[in-house]
Amino acid sequence: MISNKIETRTGMVLVLPAVLGLVIFNYYPIVQSFVYSFFDLEFTTDWLNAPFIGFRNYAVVMASDQFWYTFLFTAGFTLVAVTLDLSLGMAFALATFYVPGKMRGLLRAIIIVPWAIPKVIQASMWRWMLNTDVGPIGDVLVRIGLVSEPPLFLMDRYLAMGSVVAAYTWKGASIAAFFLMGGLALIPREVTESAIVDGANAVRRFFSITLPIIMPTVFVALLYRSQDALRVFDVVYTLTGGGPGNSTDTLSSFAYNAYFRFAQFGRASTYAVVTFILVALVGTFYISRVRRNFSFRE
Amino acid sequence: MKKPSSYKHSITSGFIVFIIGFWCLFPLAWMFITSIKPLGTEYRIPVEYWPSQPTLDNYRTVLGERFTIQRSLLNSAVVSTGAVLGTLLLSSLSAYGISRLRFKFRTASLYIMQIAGMIPPIVIIAPTFVLMRSLGLLRTYWAMIIPNMVYALPLSSFLIASYFANVPFEIEDAAKIDGAGTLRTLFRIVLPIAAPGIFSAGVLAFLGSWGEFMLANTVSIGSAAVETVPVAILSFSRAFDLQWAWVAAGTMVSILPVLLAVIVFQRVIVSGLSAGSLK
Repeated sequence: MISNKIETRTGMVLVLPAVLGLVIFNYYPIVQSFVYSFFDLEFTTDWLNAPFIGFRNYAVVMASDQFWYTFLFTAGFTLVAVTLDLSLGMAFALATFYVPGKMRGLLRAIIIVPWAIPKVIQASMWRWMLNTDVGPIGDVLVRIGLVSEPPLFLMDRYLAMGSVVAAYTWKGASIAAFFLMGGLALIPREVTESAIVDGANAVRRFFSITLPIIMPTVFVALLYRSQDALRVFDVVYTLTGGGPGNSTDTLSSFAYNAYFRFAQFGRASTYAVVTFILVALVGTFYISRVRRNFSFRE
Repeated sequence: MKKPSSYKHSITSGFIVFIIGFWCLFPLAWMFITSIKPLGTEYRIPVEYWPSQPTLDNYRTVLGERFTIQRSLLNSAVVSTGAVLGTLLLSSLSAYGISRLRFKFRTASLYIMQIAGMIPPIVIIAPTFVLMRSLGLLRTYWAMIIPNMVYALPLSSFLIASYFANVPFEIEDAAKIDGAGTLRTLFRIVLPIAAPGIFSAGVLAFLGSWGEFMLANTVSIGSAAVETVPVAILSFSRAFDLQWAWVAAGTMVSILPVLLAVIVFQRVIVSGLSAGSLK
Protein backbone atom coordinates (compact mmCIF):
# COMPACT_ATOMS: atom_id res chain seq x y z
CA MET A 1 0.00 0.00 0.00
CA ILE A 2 1.20 3.44 -0.77
CA SER A 3 1.37 6.00 1.95
CA ASN A 4 -1.06 8.89 2.12
CA LYS A 5 1.63 11.41 1.42
CA ILE A 6 2.50 9.84 -1.91
CA GLU A 7 -1.15 9.44 -2.77
CA THR A 8 -1.76 13.12 -2.11
CA ARG A 9 1.19 14.16 -4.19
CA THR A 10 0.23 11.86 -7.07
CA GLY A 11 -3.37 13.05 -6.98
CA MET A 12 -2.36 16.66 -7.15
CA VAL A 13 0.07 16.05 -9.98
CA LEU A 14 -2.65 14.26 -11.95
CA VAL A 15 -5.23 17.04 -11.64
CA LEU A 16 -2.74 19.88 -11.92
CA PRO A 17 -2.55 20.19 -15.74
CA ALA A 18 -6.35 20.26 -16.10
CA VAL A 19 -6.85 22.68 -13.22
CA LEU A 20 -4.09 24.92 -14.52
CA GLY A 21 -5.71 25.04 -17.97
CA LEU A 22 -9.09 25.89 -16.48
CA VAL A 23 -7.60 28.61 -14.30
CA ILE A 24 -5.82 30.24 -17.24
CA PHE A 25 -8.57 29.94 -19.84
CA ASN A 26 -11.75 30.02 -17.76
CA TYR A 27 -11.26 31.54 -14.32
CA TYR A 28 -8.66 34.19 -15.03
CA PRO A 29 -10.74 35.59 -17.95
CA ILE A 30 -13.85 35.78 -15.74
CA VAL A 31 -12.00 37.74 -13.10
CA GLN A 32 -10.57 39.95 -15.84
CA SER A 33 -14.07 40.61 -17.23
CA PHE A 34 -15.24 41.67 -13.77
CA VAL A 35 -12.21 43.96 -13.55
CA TYR A 36 -12.92 45.48 -17.00
CA SER A 37 -16.48 46.24 -15.95
CA PHE A 38 -15.21 48.63 -13.25
CA PHE A 39 -13.08 50.70 -15.61
CA ASP A 40 -13.76 53.24 -18.29
CA LEU A 41 -12.43 51.23 -21.23
CA GLU A 42 -13.05 52.34 -24.79
CA PHE A 43 -10.79 51.25 -27.64
CA THR A 44 -8.40 49.76 -25.12
CA THR A 45 -8.23 46.93 -22.62
CA ASP A 46 -5.30 48.49 -20.79
CA TRP A 47 -7.20 48.82 -17.54
CA LEU A 48 -4.08 49.55 -15.51
CA ASN A 49 -3.91 52.94 -17.21
CA ALA A 50 -7.65 53.54 -17.44
CA PRO A 51 -9.79 55.51 -15.00
CA PHE A 52 -11.45 53.36 -12.30
CA ILE A 53 -15.13 54.25 -12.26
CA GLY A 54 -16.54 51.81 -9.73
CA PHE A 55 -20.09 50.80 -10.56
CA ARG A 56 -20.67 53.57 -13.08
CA ASN A 57 -20.78 51.16 -16.05
CA TYR A 58 -23.43 49.20 -14.20
CA ALA A 59 -25.35 52.37 -13.34
CA VAL A 60 -25.31 53.53 -16.96
CA VAL A 61 -26.30 50.10 -18.25
CA MET A 62 -29.06 49.61 -15.68
CA ALA A 63 -30.48 53.02 -16.55
CA SER A 64 -30.66 52.20 -20.26
CA ASP A 65 -33.83 50.84 -21.86
CA GLN A 66 -31.67 48.81 -24.22
CA PHE A 67 -30.26 46.76 -21.37
CA TRP A 68 -33.65 45.92 -19.87
CA TYR A 69 -35.07 45.13 -23.28
CA THR A 70 -32.16 42.79 -24.03
CA PHE A 71 -32.36 41.27 -20.56
CA LEU A 72 -36.08 40.58 -20.90
CA PHE A 73 -35.70 39.28 -24.42
CA THR A 74 -32.99 36.86 -23.29
CA ALA A 75 -35.14 35.68 -20.38
CA GLY A 76 -38.27 35.37 -22.53
CA PHE A 77 -36.33 33.61 -25.27
CA THR A 78 -35.00 31.14 -22.72
CA LEU A 79 -38.44 30.45 -21.33
CA VAL A 80 -40.05 29.84 -24.72
CA ALA A 81 -37.13 28.05 -26.35
CA VAL A 82 -36.50 25.70 -23.44
CA THR A 83 -40.19 24.84 -23.17
CA LEU A 84 -40.25 23.99 -26.86
CA ASP A 85 -36.93 22.11 -26.69
CA LEU A 86 -38.18 19.90 -23.90
CA SER A 87 -41.70 19.35 -25.28
CA LEU A 88 -40.51 18.48 -28.77
CA GLY A 89 -37.58 16.55 -27.35
CA MET A 90 -39.95 14.53 -25.18
CA ALA A 91 -42.16 13.79 -28.17
CA PHE A 92 -39.13 12.66 -30.19
CA ALA A 93 -37.81 10.52 -27.34
CA LEU A 94 -41.19 8.85 -26.78
CA ALA A 95 -41.44 8.25 -30.53
CA THR A 96 -38.19 6.29 -30.55
CA PHE A 97 -39.73 3.93 -27.99
CA TYR A 98 -43.05 3.73 -29.78
CA VAL A 99 -41.85 2.74 -33.25
CA PRO A 100 -40.99 -0.91 -33.89
CA GLY A 101 -37.38 -2.00 -33.41
CA LYS A 102 -36.59 -1.93 -37.13
CA MET A 103 -37.35 1.77 -37.37
CA ARG A 104 -35.71 2.76 -34.08
CA GLY A 105 -32.16 3.03 -35.43
CA LEU A 106 -33.37 5.04 -38.41
CA LEU A 107 -35.34 7.43 -36.23
CA ARG A 108 -32.38 7.97 -33.91
CA ALA A 109 -30.10 8.63 -36.87
CA ILE A 110 -32.61 11.19 -38.14
CA ILE A 111 -32.93 12.93 -34.78
CA ILE A 112 -29.16 13.18 -34.35
CA VAL A 113 -28.66 15.02 -37.66
CA PRO A 114 -29.36 18.57 -36.36
CA TRP A 115 -26.84 17.88 -33.65
CA ALA A 116 -24.03 17.30 -36.12
CA ILE A 117 -24.56 20.69 -37.74
CA PRO A 118 -22.55 23.60 -36.30
CA LYS A 119 -24.84 26.31 -34.89
CA VAL A 120 -23.67 28.90 -37.37
CA ILE A 121 -24.56 26.64 -40.28
CA GLN A 122 -27.86 25.74 -38.63
CA ALA A 123 -28.75 29.44 -38.48
CA SER A 124 -27.56 30.03 -42.03
CA MET A 125 -29.81 27.21 -43.28
CA TRP A 126 -32.79 28.76 -41.52
CA ARG A 127 -31.92 32.17 -42.87
CA TRP A 128 -32.16 30.76 -46.38
CA MET A 129 -35.44 28.93 -45.64
CA LEU A 130 -36.94 32.12 -44.20
CA ASN A 131 -35.93 34.21 -47.22
CA THR A 132 -38.95 36.32 -48.08
CA ASP A 133 -38.71 36.03 -51.88
CA VAL A 134 -37.63 32.44 -52.44
CA GLY A 135 -37.90 30.77 -49.05
CA PRO A 136 -40.07 27.64 -48.93
CA ILE A 137 -41.72 28.58 -45.63
CA GLY A 138 -43.17 31.88 -46.86
CA ASP A 139 -44.06 30.29 -50.17
CA VAL A 140 -46.02 27.47 -48.56
CA LEU A 141 -47.86 29.92 -46.28
CA VAL A 142 -48.94 31.86 -49.37
CA ARG A 143 -49.93 28.71 -51.28
CA ILE A 144 -52.15 27.39 -48.52
CA GLY A 145 -53.75 30.79 -48.35
CA LEU A 146 -52.71 31.71 -44.82
CA VAL A 147 -51.17 35.00 -45.95
CA SER A 148 -51.41 36.95 -49.19
CA GLU A 149 -47.72 37.81 -49.39
CA PRO A 150 -44.67 36.02 -47.97
CA PRO A 151 -44.02 37.42 -44.48
CA LEU A 152 -40.89 39.48 -43.80
CA PHE A 153 -39.60 36.92 -41.34
CA LEU A 154 -36.37 38.66 -40.43
CA MET A 155 -37.51 42.26 -40.91
CA ASP A 156 -40.53 42.27 -38.65
CA ARG A 157 -39.68 42.42 -34.97
CA TYR A 158 -42.01 39.69 -33.70
CA LEU A 159 -41.52 37.40 -36.67
CA ALA A 160 -37.76 37.75 -36.22
CA MET A 161 -38.12 36.69 -32.57
CA GLY A 162 -40.17 33.68 -33.64
CA SER A 163 -37.59 32.84 -36.31
CA VAL A 164 -34.76 32.87 -33.78
CA VAL A 165 -36.73 30.54 -31.51
CA ALA A 166 -37.57 28.16 -34.38
CA ALA A 167 -34.01 28.01 -35.67
CA TYR A 168 -32.67 27.50 -32.15
CA THR A 169 -35.20 24.80 -31.28
CA TRP A 170 -34.37 22.86 -34.42
CA LYS A 171 -31.19 21.70 -32.73
CA GLY A 172 -32.32 22.09 -29.11
CA ALA A 173 -35.15 19.59 -29.50
CA SER A 174 -32.72 16.94 -30.73
CA ILE A 175 -30.34 17.55 -27.85
CA ALA A 176 -33.18 17.36 -25.33
CA ALA A 177 -34.47 14.21 -27.03
CA PHE A 178 -31.22 12.34 -26.47
CA PHE A 179 -31.10 13.36 -22.84
CA LEU A 180 -34.66 12.14 -22.32
CA MET A 181 -34.15 8.89 -24.23
CA GLY A 182 -31.56 7.95 -21.63
CA GLY A 183 -34.13 8.47 -18.88
CA LEU A 184 -36.90 6.61 -20.69
CA ALA A 185 -34.63 3.63 -21.24
CA LEU A 186 -34.45 3.11 -17.48
CA ILE A 187 -38.18 2.64 -16.96
CA PRO A 188 -38.78 -1.03 -16.17
CA ARG A 189 -41.08 -2.68 -18.65
CA GLU A 190 -43.17 -4.25 -15.88
CA VAL A 191 -44.22 -0.82 -14.62
CA THR A 192 -45.72 0.18 -17.95
CA GLU A 193 -47.25 -3.21 -18.54
CA SER A 194 -49.02 -3.33 -15.21
CA ALA A 195 -50.45 0.12 -15.91
CA ILE A 196 -51.80 -1.16 -19.21
CA VAL A 197 -53.40 -4.08 -17.43
CA ASP A 198 -54.98 -1.60 -15.02
CA GLY A 199 -56.52 0.07 -18.06
CA ALA A 200 -54.67 3.41 -17.93
CA ASN A 201 -54.67 5.16 -21.30
CA ALA A 202 -51.50 6.51 -22.95
CA VAL A 203 -51.89 10.12 -21.77
CA ARG A 204 -52.57 9.05 -18.22
CA ARG A 205 -49.68 6.60 -18.27
CA PHE A 206 -47.37 9.37 -19.41
CA PHE A 207 -48.37 11.86 -16.72
CA SER A 208 -48.79 9.53 -13.79
CA ILE A 209 -46.06 6.97 -14.45
CA THR A 210 -43.49 7.91 -17.08
CA LEU A 211 -43.03 11.57 -16.20
CA PRO A 212 -42.61 11.11 -12.45
CA ILE A 213 -40.02 8.38 -13.01
CA ILE A 214 -37.91 10.37 -15.43
CA MET A 215 -38.31 13.69 -13.60
CA PRO A 216 -34.63 13.72 -12.53
CA THR A 217 -33.57 13.44 -16.18
CA VAL A 218 -36.07 16.11 -17.20
CA PHE A 219 -34.62 18.33 -14.52
CA VAL A 220 -31.05 17.86 -15.77
CA ALA A 221 -32.17 18.50 -19.35
CA LEU A 222 -34.00 21.62 -18.17
CA LEU A 223 -30.92 23.01 -16.42
CA TYR A 224 -28.66 22.15 -19.32
CA ARG A 225 -30.93 23.69 -21.95
CA SER A 226 -31.63 26.79 -19.83
CA GLN A 227 -27.96 27.50 -19.45
CA ASP A 228 -27.45 27.09 -23.17
CA ALA A 229 -30.38 29.37 -24.00
CA LEU A 230 -29.35 32.10 -21.56
CA ARG A 231 -25.97 32.39 -23.26
CA VAL A 232 -27.29 32.00 -26.82
CA PHE A 233 -25.07 33.73 -29.34
CA ASP A 234 -24.28 31.91 -32.60
CA VAL A 235 -27.86 31.52 -33.82
CA VAL A 236 -28.77 35.17 -33.15
CA TYR A 237 -25.52 36.52 -34.56
CA THR A 238 -25.93 34.57 -37.80
CA LEU A 239 -29.69 34.60 -38.32
CA THR A 240 -30.72 38.16 -37.49
CA GLY A 241 -27.51 39.83 -36.32
CA GLY A 242 -29.68 41.05 -33.43
CA GLY A 243 -32.00 42.86 -35.84
CA PRO A 244 -34.23 44.40 -36.89
CA GLY A 245 -32.70 47.22 -34.89
CA ASN A 246 -31.64 45.53 -31.66
CA SER A 247 -34.91 43.69 -31.20
CA THR A 248 -33.51 40.15 -31.20
CA ASP A 249 -30.22 40.94 -29.48
CA THR A 250 -29.49 38.73 -26.50
CA LEU A 251 -27.12 39.67 -23.69
CA SER A 252 -24.36 37.71 -25.40
CA SER A 253 -24.84 39.03 -28.93
CA PHE A 254 -25.21 42.61 -27.68
CA ALA A 255 -22.05 42.28 -25.62
CA TYR A 256 -20.15 40.73 -28.51
CA ASN A 257 -20.88 43.69 -30.76
CA ALA A 258 -20.10 46.12 -27.96
CA TYR A 259 -16.73 44.39 -27.54
CA PHE A 260 -15.58 43.77 -31.05
CA ARG A 261 -17.49 46.25 -33.18
CA PHE A 262 -17.65 49.27 -30.90
CA ALA A 263 -14.66 48.43 -28.67
CA GLN A 264 -16.53 49.48 -25.51
CA PHE A 265 -14.74 46.96 -23.35
CA GLY A 266 -15.94 48.32 -20.00
CA ARG A 267 -19.60 48.61 -21.00
CA ALA A 268 -19.65 45.26 -22.79
CA SER A 269 -18.17 43.55 -19.76
CA THR A 270 -21.17 44.55 -17.66
CA TYR A 271 -23.45 42.72 -20.11
CA ALA A 272 -21.12 39.72 -20.02
CA VAL A 273 -21.06 39.74 -16.22
CA VAL A 274 -24.86 39.85 -16.07
CA THR A 275 -25.01 36.86 -18.44
CA PHE A 276 -22.59 35.04 -16.20
CA ILE A 277 -24.67 35.76 -13.09
CA LEU A 278 -27.85 34.49 -14.75
CA VAL A 279 -26.20 31.28 -15.90
CA ALA A 280 -24.56 30.85 -12.50
CA LEU A 281 -27.94 31.15 -10.76
CA VAL A 282 -29.26 28.27 -12.82
CA GLY A 283 -25.93 26.53 -12.27
CA THR A 284 -26.23 26.46 -8.49
CA PHE A 285 -28.98 23.86 -8.89
CA TYR A 286 -26.68 21.81 -11.05
CA ILE A 287 -23.63 22.13 -8.83
CA SER A 288 -25.51 20.80 -5.84
CA ARG A 289 -25.76 17.54 -7.79
CA VAL A 290 -22.14 17.35 -8.90
CA ARG A 291 -20.66 15.62 -5.90
CA ARG A 292 -23.44 13.06 -5.89
CA ASN A 293 -22.93 12.34 -9.58
CA PHE A 294 -19.22 11.77 -9.42
CA SER A 295 -18.02 8.36 -8.35
CA PHE A 296 -15.38 8.49 -5.63
CA ARG A 297 -13.14 6.14 -3.80
CA GLU A 298 -14.19 7.04 -0.27
CA MET B 1 -46.36 0.04 -24.76
CA LYS B 2 -49.73 -1.29 -25.70
CA LYS B 3 -49.54 -3.59 -28.66
CA PRO B 4 -52.00 -2.27 -31.21
CA SER B 5 -52.65 -4.40 -34.25
CA SER B 6 -49.26 -4.52 -35.94
CA TYR B 7 -50.66 -3.11 -39.19
CA LYS B 8 -52.04 0.01 -37.53
CA HIS B 9 -48.87 0.29 -35.47
CA SER B 10 -46.63 0.33 -38.57
CA ILE B 11 -48.79 2.95 -40.26
CA THR B 12 -48.66 5.34 -37.27
CA SER B 13 -44.96 4.62 -36.79
CA GLY B 14 -44.24 5.39 -40.43
CA PHE B 15 -46.20 8.61 -40.11
CA ILE B 16 -44.28 9.62 -36.96
CA VAL B 17 -40.92 8.89 -38.59
CA PHE B 18 -41.98 10.96 -41.59
CA ILE B 19 -43.01 13.98 -39.50
CA ILE B 20 -39.86 13.96 -37.35
CA GLY B 21 -37.75 13.29 -40.43
CA PHE B 22 -39.30 16.26 -42.18
CA TRP B 23 -38.54 18.60 -39.27
CA CYS B 24 -34.97 17.37 -38.80
CA LEU B 25 -33.98 16.92 -42.42
CA PHE B 26 -35.85 19.58 -44.39
CA PRO B 27 -33.38 22.43 -43.76
CA LEU B 28 -30.62 20.14 -45.00
CA ALA B 29 -32.66 18.94 -47.97
CA TRP B 30 -33.44 22.51 -48.95
CA MET B 31 -29.73 23.39 -48.83
CA PHE B 32 -29.03 20.39 -51.06
CA ILE B 33 -31.77 21.30 -53.55
CA THR B 34 -30.45 24.85 -53.71
CA SER B 35 -26.92 23.57 -54.22
CA ILE B 36 -27.86 21.74 -57.43
CA LYS B 37 -29.72 24.68 -58.98
CA PRO B 38 -27.88 26.43 -61.83
CA LEU B 39 -26.40 29.65 -60.44
CA GLY B 40 -28.93 32.47 -60.69
CA THR B 41 -32.01 30.24 -60.72
CA GLU B 42 -32.02 29.97 -56.91
CA TYR B 43 -33.57 33.44 -56.80
CA ARG B 44 -36.16 32.70 -59.48
CA ILE B 45 -39.81 33.30 -58.58
CA PRO B 46 -41.97 31.22 -58.24
CA VAL B 47 -39.92 29.03 -55.95
CA GLU B 48 -38.61 25.88 -57.65
CA TYR B 49 -38.88 22.86 -55.38
CA TRP B 50 -36.74 20.82 -57.70
CA PRO B 51 -34.42 22.41 -60.26
CA SER B 52 -35.53 21.98 -63.88
CA GLN B 53 -31.87 21.44 -64.80
CA PRO B 54 -29.99 19.98 -61.83
CA THR B 55 -26.25 20.61 -61.97
CA LEU B 56 -23.08 19.96 -60.00
CA ASP B 57 -21.46 23.16 -61.30
CA ASN B 58 -21.74 24.89 -57.94
CA TYR B 59 -19.74 22.12 -56.32
CA ARG B 60 -17.05 22.44 -58.99
CA THR B 61 -16.95 26.18 -58.39
CA VAL B 62 -16.72 26.14 -54.61
CA LEU B 63 -14.11 23.38 -54.63
CA GLY B 64 -12.07 25.41 -57.11
CA GLU B 65 -9.13 27.62 -56.33
CA ARG B 66 -11.06 30.83 -55.70
CA PHE B 67 -12.61 29.43 -52.55
CA THR B 68 -11.27 28.13 -49.27
CA ILE B 69 -13.73 25.43 -48.27
CA GLN B 70 -11.12 22.67 -48.26
CA ARG B 71 -8.77 24.90 -46.33
CA SER B 72 -11.40 25.53 -43.64
CA LEU B 73 -12.12 21.80 -43.42
CA LEU B 74 -8.43 21.16 -42.91
CA ASN B 75 -8.22 23.95 -40.31
CA SER B 76 -11.19 22.57 -38.41
CA ALA B 77 -9.73 19.07 -38.53
CA VAL B 78 -6.41 20.27 -37.15
CA VAL B 79 -7.99 22.37 -34.40
CA SER B 80 -10.52 19.74 -33.34
CA THR B 81 -8.06 16.84 -33.43
CA GLY B 82 -5.51 18.77 -31.41
CA ALA B 83 -8.10 19.84 -28.88
CA VAL B 84 -9.49 16.30 -28.53
CA LEU B 85 -6.10 14.66 -28.00
CA GLY B 86 -5.15 17.22 -25.39
CA THR B 87 -8.46 17.04 -23.59
CA LEU B 88 -8.49 13.22 -23.49
CA LEU B 89 -5.04 13.11 -21.96
CA LEU B 90 -5.71 15.80 -19.35
CA SER B 91 -9.17 14.60 -18.46
CA SER B 92 -8.08 10.95 -18.13
CA LEU B 93 -5.39 12.01 -15.67
CA SER B 94 -7.62 14.31 -13.67
CA ALA B 95 -10.64 12.00 -13.67
CA TYR B 96 -8.45 9.22 -12.39
CA GLY B 97 -6.96 11.43 -9.71
CA ILE B 98 -10.32 12.69 -8.53
CA SER B 99 -12.23 9.43 -8.61
CA ARG B 100 -9.54 7.01 -7.45
CA LEU B 101 -7.01 8.78 -5.26
CA ARG B 102 -7.66 10.30 -1.86
CA PHE B 103 -6.05 13.68 -1.50
CA LYS B 104 -6.69 17.02 0.11
CA PHE B 105 -7.86 19.12 -2.79
CA ARG B 106 -9.90 16.41 -4.42
CA THR B 107 -13.33 17.94 -3.87
CA ALA B 108 -12.01 21.40 -4.67
CA SER B 109 -10.58 20.13 -7.98
CA LEU B 110 -13.90 18.51 -8.80
CA TYR B 111 -15.76 21.77 -8.27
CA ILE B 112 -13.17 23.75 -10.21
CA MET B 113 -13.68 21.41 -13.14
CA GLN B 114 -17.45 21.15 -13.09
CA ILE B 115 -18.21 24.83 -12.47
CA ALA B 116 -16.01 25.70 -15.43
CA GLY B 117 -18.35 23.74 -17.68
CA MET B 118 -21.08 26.31 -17.18
CA ILE B 119 -19.19 29.49 -17.95
CA PRO B 120 -20.83 31.45 -20.78
CA PRO B 121 -18.35 32.11 -23.61
CA ILE B 122 -19.17 35.81 -23.69
CA VAL B 123 -17.77 36.44 -20.23
CA ILE B 124 -14.34 35.06 -21.15
CA ILE B 125 -14.02 36.02 -24.81
CA ALA B 126 -12.50 39.50 -24.51
CA PRO B 127 -9.81 38.63 -21.93
CA THR B 128 -9.02 35.46 -23.89
CA PHE B 129 -8.57 37.57 -27.01
CA VAL B 130 -6.27 39.94 -25.11
CA LEU B 131 -4.33 36.99 -23.69
CA MET B 132 -3.85 35.45 -27.14
CA ARG B 133 -2.78 38.81 -28.51
CA SER B 134 -0.15 39.27 -25.84
CA LEU B 135 1.10 35.72 -26.42
CA GLY B 136 1.35 36.54 -30.13
CA LEU B 137 -0.97 33.64 -30.97
CA LEU B 138 -3.69 35.49 -32.90
CA ARG B 139 -4.32 33.99 -36.34
CA THR B 140 -2.71 30.68 -35.27
CA TYR B 141 -4.13 27.22 -34.63
CA TRP B 142 -2.86 27.37 -31.05
CA ALA B 143 -5.27 30.18 -30.20
CA MET B 144 -8.10 27.74 -30.90
CA ILE B 145 -6.58 24.38 -29.96
CA ILE B 146 -5.61 25.26 -26.39
CA PRO B 147 -8.85 26.96 -25.30
CA ASN B 148 -11.03 24.34 -27.01
CA MET B 149 -9.02 21.66 -25.26
CA VAL B 150 -9.73 23.37 -21.94
CA TYR B 151 -13.42 24.02 -22.71
CA ALA B 152 -13.97 20.29 -23.29
CA LEU B 153 -12.35 19.22 -20.00
CA PRO B 154 -15.40 19.38 -17.68
CA LEU B 155 -17.66 17.21 -19.82
CA SER B 156 -15.00 14.74 -20.85
CA SER B 157 -13.56 14.24 -17.37
CA PHE B 158 -17.09 13.71 -16.10
CA LEU B 159 -17.81 11.09 -18.78
CA ILE B 160 -14.50 9.34 -18.33
CA ALA B 161 -14.90 9.25 -14.54
CA SER B 162 -18.31 7.65 -14.92
CA TYR B 163 -16.65 4.83 -16.86
CA PHE B 164 -13.83 4.55 -14.31
CA ALA B 165 -16.57 3.74 -11.82
CA ASN B 166 -16.98 0.38 -13.59
CA VAL B 167 -13.39 -0.64 -12.89
CA PRO B 168 -13.27 -2.72 -9.68
CA PHE B 169 -10.85 -1.39 -7.08
CA GLU B 170 -9.54 -4.94 -6.60
CA ILE B 171 -8.06 -5.07 -10.11
CA GLU B 172 -6.22 -1.86 -9.44
CA ASP B 173 -5.02 -2.90 -6.02
CA ALA B 174 -3.78 -6.18 -7.45
CA ALA B 175 -1.78 -4.30 -10.06
CA LYS B 176 -0.29 -2.10 -7.38
CA ILE B 177 0.68 -5.06 -5.22
CA ASP B 178 2.43 -6.46 -8.30
CA GLY B 179 4.50 -3.30 -8.21
CA ALA B 180 2.86 -1.21 -10.92
CA GLY B 181 2.98 2.55 -10.27
CA THR B 182 -0.02 4.84 -10.49
CA LEU B 183 0.57 5.87 -14.09
CA ARG B 184 1.23 2.33 -15.18
CA THR B 185 -1.97 1.15 -13.48
CA LEU B 186 -3.88 3.95 -15.16
CA PHE B 187 -2.57 3.37 -18.67
CA ARG B 188 -2.33 -0.43 -18.62
CA ILE B 189 -5.34 -1.43 -16.52
CA VAL B 190 -7.89 1.33 -16.03
CA LEU B 191 -7.84 3.18 -19.36
CA PRO B 192 -8.34 0.08 -21.53
CA ILE B 193 -11.42 -0.85 -19.49
CA ALA B 194 -12.78 2.69 -19.77
CA ALA B 195 -12.05 2.86 -23.52
CA PRO B 196 -15.70 3.21 -24.62
CA GLY B 197 -16.14 6.19 -22.32
CA ILE B 198 -12.95 7.78 -23.57
CA PHE B 199 -14.08 7.30 -27.13
CA SER B 200 -17.47 8.89 -26.56
CA ALA B 201 -15.87 11.75 -24.62
CA GLY B 202 -13.57 12.22 -27.61
CA VAL B 203 -16.45 12.30 -30.07
CA LEU B 204 -18.34 14.88 -28.01
CA ALA B 205 -15.24 17.02 -27.53
CA PHE B 206 -14.60 16.85 -31.27
CA LEU B 207 -18.13 18.00 -32.08
CA GLY B 208 -17.93 20.83 -29.56
CA SER B 209 -14.70 22.10 -30.97
CA TRP B 210 -15.84 21.59 -34.57
CA GLY B 211 -18.89 23.81 -34.08
CA GLU B 212 -17.25 26.40 -31.83
CA PHE B 213 -17.71 29.83 -33.36
CA MET B 214 -17.23 32.77 -31.02
CA LEU B 215 -13.58 32.14 -30.20
CA ALA B 216 -12.65 30.98 -33.70
CA ASN B 217 -14.26 34.08 -35.20
CA THR B 218 -12.49 36.35 -32.72
CA VAL B 219 -8.95 35.01 -32.92
CA SER B 220 -8.82 34.24 -36.66
CA ILE B 221 -9.64 37.88 -37.56
CA GLY B 222 -10.41 37.26 -41.20
CA SER B 223 -7.36 35.11 -41.91
CA ALA B 224 -8.49 32.36 -44.30
CA ALA B 225 -5.34 30.40 -43.46
CA VAL B 226 -6.70 29.50 -40.01
CA GLU B 227 -10.48 30.01 -40.34
CA THR B 228 -12.49 27.01 -39.19
CA VAL B 229 -15.63 25.77 -40.94
CA PRO B 230 -18.25 27.84 -39.04
CA VAL B 231 -16.26 31.06 -39.49
CA ALA B 232 -15.56 30.38 -43.15
CA ILE B 233 -19.16 29.47 -43.96
CA LEU B 234 -20.48 32.62 -42.28
CA SER B 235 -18.11 34.92 -44.15
CA PHE B 236 -18.75 32.96 -47.35
CA SER B 237 -22.50 33.40 -46.99
CA ARG B 238 -22.10 37.11 -46.32
CA ALA B 239 -19.80 37.64 -49.29
CA PHE B 240 -21.95 35.65 -51.73
CA ASP B 241 -25.43 36.51 -50.56
CA LEU B 242 -26.49 36.85 -54.20
CA GLN B 243 -24.90 33.54 -55.25
CA TRP B 244 -26.63 31.40 -52.69
CA ALA B 245 -26.32 28.29 -54.85
CA TRP B 246 -22.57 28.54 -54.17
CA VAL B 247 -23.14 29.06 -50.48
CA ALA B 248 -25.41 26.02 -50.44
CA ALA B 249 -22.84 23.84 -52.20
CA GLY B 250 -20.11 25.07 -49.86
CA THR B 251 -22.30 24.35 -46.86
CA MET B 252 -23.06 20.83 -48.05
CA VAL B 253 -19.36 20.08 -48.60
CA SER B 254 -18.42 21.47 -45.20
CA ILE B 255 -20.97 19.57 -43.15
CA LEU B 256 -20.77 16.23 -44.92
CA PRO B 257 -17.73 14.65 -43.21
CA VAL B 258 -18.92 15.28 -39.68
CA LEU B 259 -22.51 14.45 -40.52
CA LEU B 260 -21.48 11.02 -41.78
CA ALA B 261 -19.23 10.45 -38.78
CA VAL B 262 -22.01 11.34 -36.35
CA ILE B 263 -24.45 8.97 -37.98
CA VAL B 264 -21.85 6.19 -37.90
CA PHE B 265 -20.94 6.85 -34.24
CA GLN B 266 -24.56 7.45 -33.24
CA ARG B 267 -24.62 4.66 -30.69
CA VAL B 268 -21.45 5.81 -28.94
CA ILE B 269 -22.66 9.40 -28.72
CA VAL B 270 -26.00 8.34 -27.32
CA SER B 271 -24.48 6.12 -24.67
CA GLY B 272 -22.01 8.84 -23.73
CA LEU B 273 -24.80 11.35 -23.30
CA SER B 274 -26.92 9.10 -21.22
CA ALA B 275 -23.97 8.42 -18.95
CA GLY B 276 -23.67 12.16 -18.53
CA SER B 277 -27.31 12.91 -17.97
CA LEU B 278 -28.65 9.99 -16.01
CA LYS B 279 -26.93 9.80 -12.73
